[in-house]
Amino acid sequence: MKLVVTICLVMLVIAGALGVARIVRRSTLGDRAVAFDMLTSVLTCALLVSAGYLQDGLLLDLAIVLGLLGFIASVTIARFIEARNGTQS
Amino acid sequence: MNDVMTAIRDVVSAVLMLSGSLLAVISSIGIHRLGSTRARMHATTKPATLGVLLCGVGAVVQFADVSDIAKVLVVVILQLVGAPIGAHMLGRAVGGK
Repeated sequence: MKLVVTICLVMLVIAGALGVARIVRRSTLGDRAVAFDMLTSVLTCALLVSAGYLQDGLLLDLAIVLGLLGFIASVTIARFIEARNGTQS
Repeated sequence: MNDVMTAIRDVVSAVLMLSGSLLAVISSIGIHRLGSTRARMHATTKPATLGVLLCGVGAVVQFADVSDIAKVLVVVILQLVGAPIGAHMLGRAVGGK
C-alpha cells in the first residue's frame, strides 16, 4: 500500500509541476485560469490519497476548503474576464 | 479471513487511486500539448471530476469511520457540482473562438 501511495503522490506531483509550469509560462489569463483549476483538483486528489493512507480525517477538511476555494476562484476569474472584454451578461 | 478482506480492500483502493492519479497526469500533459484554450479545458475538466471521484472512492475504501466517509462524500459532491459550473463560466468568458 505504501508503494502504491508513493507512486500516486509522485504522479500527482508531476501533474502539479506541469500545471505550475503552464501558469508561470507566458500565456493568456484564460489559460492560467484553466491551469489553476487543474491545480486545485490535483491538490484535492493528493489530499484524498494521503487521507486514505494515513486514515486522517483532518486532511479531508482541507480538501473540502480547497474544493470550495477552487470553485470560487474559477468563477471569479471568469467574471473578471467577461467584464474586461465588455461582454457582461 | 481478516487478512483476505484487508488485501481485497488494499487492491481495490490501489486501483482506484492509481487511475485517478493517472488521469491527473494525462490532464497536465494535455494542458501543454493542446492548441487552444477550449481544447485545454477539454483536457482538464474531465479529470477534475472523474479523478477526484476515483481518488475519493479509493480513500473511502480505506476508512473505517463513518464521519470520514461523509466528509469524502462532501468533497466529491462539491467537486461534481462546482467543477462543471466553473468550467462553463470560464468557457463562456474565453469566447467562442
